[in-house]
Parts: sequence; C-alpha cells; structure tokens
Amino acid sequence: MRLTVGGTTYEGRVVDLRGRAVDGATLAAAVRGDRCLPAVASADPPPVYDYCGHVHAAMGLRTRTALAAAGRSRGYETPHDDAIDELREQLASSDPDAPSLPSVRDDVSRSTLADQREAAATQRGRLEARRTLGVDTDAAEQAVREATRTLSERETERVAAEESRRRRRELARAYRDRLAERRQLADALANRQRDARECLVNRLHDRYVAALEAVPGSRPTDPFEASPVTAALAVLRIARTEAPVVVGTDCFADPTAAADVLDAPIIRC
Amino acid sequence: MLLVVAHSRPARRDLRNVCRAHDDCVVRRFGRAALLSWTEFAAFQALRLHEKHGLDVQLERVVPFEPADVPDHVQEAADTYEDRDHPSTPYARFASGRDLPAPDEMRGADL
Repeated sequence: MRLTVGGTTYEGRVVDLRGRAVDGATLAAAVRGDRCLPAVASADPPPVYDYCGHVHAAMGLRTRTALAAAGRSRGYETPHDDAIDELREQLASSDPDAPSLPSVRDDVSRSTLADQREAAATQRGRLEARRTLGVDTDAAEQAVREATRTLSERETERVAAEESRRRRRELARAYRDRLAERRQLADALANRQRDARECLVNRLHDRYVAALEAVPGSRPTDPFEASPVTAALAVLRIARTEAPVVVGTDCFADPTAAADVLDAPIIRC
Repeated sequence: MLLVVAHSRPARRDLRNVCRAHDDCVVRRFGRAALLSWTEFAAFQALRLHEKHGLDVQLERVVPFEPADVPDHVQEAADTYEDRDHPSTPYARFASGRDLPAPDEMRGADL
C-alpha cells in the first residue's frame, strides 16, 4: 500500500501512524474510497471491511453478518445466490417512484349542466315562437347559437374532468400495486439473504472458532459472544484481506504481529 | 366515511399518530388503514397525510352498504349457496343447473 499523510508518504505492508494523530475512522473511509484524503493506494476492500475494516475499542460488530461477508471475500457461494440475484434484479427493474398525475380539472356539476341544457332549450323555444309570429329572428338565432356552444363546452369539460379523474385513479392504483410488489420482493430478498448468511456462518463456524484461538483477546464459551474487537480480528483472519486494515487497539505487541496474525496489510494508528 | 390507506412506512407511522391524537374522528383502525368519520376535521387530517406523503396515502370515500343494496338475484345466490348441502361444492358448479347467476355474469356486471 501507499499512503500519504500531511505530505509524508508511507509505503509497505505495515504503516505505523501512532504519533501522527490521524483519525482511524478517517483512514478506514479513505481505504474504502469514501474519502479522497488521506490518499491511499491499495487493493479495493471487499464488503467485509464495512464491518471490520477499522478495529478499535469502541466498535460494535454484527459478528454473523461480518463472518458471512468474510466468506464472500473468499468467493464462497450458497445455494441461495441465484435467487438473491434474481430478486435483486426484479427489485432494481421495478420503478419505485410515484408517477406524476394529470392535473385536477374543475368538475362541471350535474346541476350546472342541467341549467345549461335548460337555457339552451329556452332559447330554442324563443326562436320557434318568433318564427311562428313571423318577427325578426336574428338576435334569437344568435342566442341559440351561444347557448348551444356554451352547453357543448360544458359537456366537453365534464368529460375531460371525468377522464382525468379516472386516469389519476388508474395511475395511483398501479403505483400502489407496484409498492406492494416491491414490499413482497424486499421481504423475500431479506429472507433469502438471511438463509445465505446462515449457510455461510455454518460453513465457517469451525474456522471461526479456530481463528478466535489465534487472535489476542479472551474466548467466551459461545464463540459469537466474543467481544467486538476479538470477533473482528477472528473474522479478518478468515477473510481475504488484500486492502489495509486500520487497527486502533494495542492488543498486538506491534503492528507487524497484527499483519502476521491477520495476514493483512496494517495501518496502525 | 373516509378510508385512509398508508402505503409506505413513514405514511403508516403518521397515520398511526393521527389516529392516536384524534381518535374522536376515527371510526375503525386496521393495520395500515383507518376509517375516519365523514367530517371536515377527518378530511383535514386525511388531506394533511396526503399532502405530506402524496400517493403513498390513498384516500377513498366509503359509503354504507346493506344487503338490500344489491339486486335480488345476487342476494338470492348468496343465501342459497351458503345453505348448500355439500360445503365442498364450488359456486360455479352449484349455480349451473339452478336459476342462479354464473360467476362471470356477476363479474361483468357493475353494481
């Protein structure tokens, strides 16, 4: 690895930054590529580093999850992997976003429409009456045209409002169907992932117990009750660790001992 | 009544909070849905949820329903079928040969 801190460049399998006052969490983030400073050039860390990439006294650890990730770093597979990939793909291909709905149109009430029909009929009646009387019908004809036009406009508006309402309901329903489907997929995915994790943990159980023996720290009767630091070290010993591990505890005699036990590049800080 | 259905976790949480705080306008609560009274205040609460969560909150108007609201033949079909001798007879088989509507006939007919 190659690491630059405050203008000084360090190279090698073990870098000791004690006395440089560099924050371990910052270094771990730089190793993961979440930060660009300090500059770290090293192999890309596998997901197990999300759990164990920074070993320090205040850390917590979901040991089984981390152990499963260690198995993954070694390329272990489970019978659930195909199903997991498929479910992930299905989730990724279903659109989680809410659709944009057509805007709400002012509805034309039935009574408005009835009034307008009546008005049009009245105007037609007037026109008929004037024709029968044989008097001037220009104004009356004009009134009939206007009333008829208004009526047809209102009818069109009403149809458009109904259509927009129907469309909004359809889109909303389809969206909610999609949400329900996504929830089912996410549940199924979580179940499969749990099964896969269990599979990996079972497979690694003996190696984990052996690794606990090899790393510093106390060993409880239940290996999964080991303290986070001890468990993390055991997990790291099992994992393929080509990227540097940030070690912030002094449980090893020196950083080189840590590199030997974990078989990993070490940044001691 | 107003039916409010929450389709996301945050919407569900807020619906629960609204129901807790204003149980005077809650007619019935279900897992992620609630029936609210047909009042302006209930509508106000429902619209607040809708404003905040968009389509993740579904609002529906619910009207009371009584058996007499459906056509007689549907009512009769339900009564006769529930009175059948063999519980395992599916309705489609039960209806054929009797003067009862076929399932598809009813599916195609709006109430």
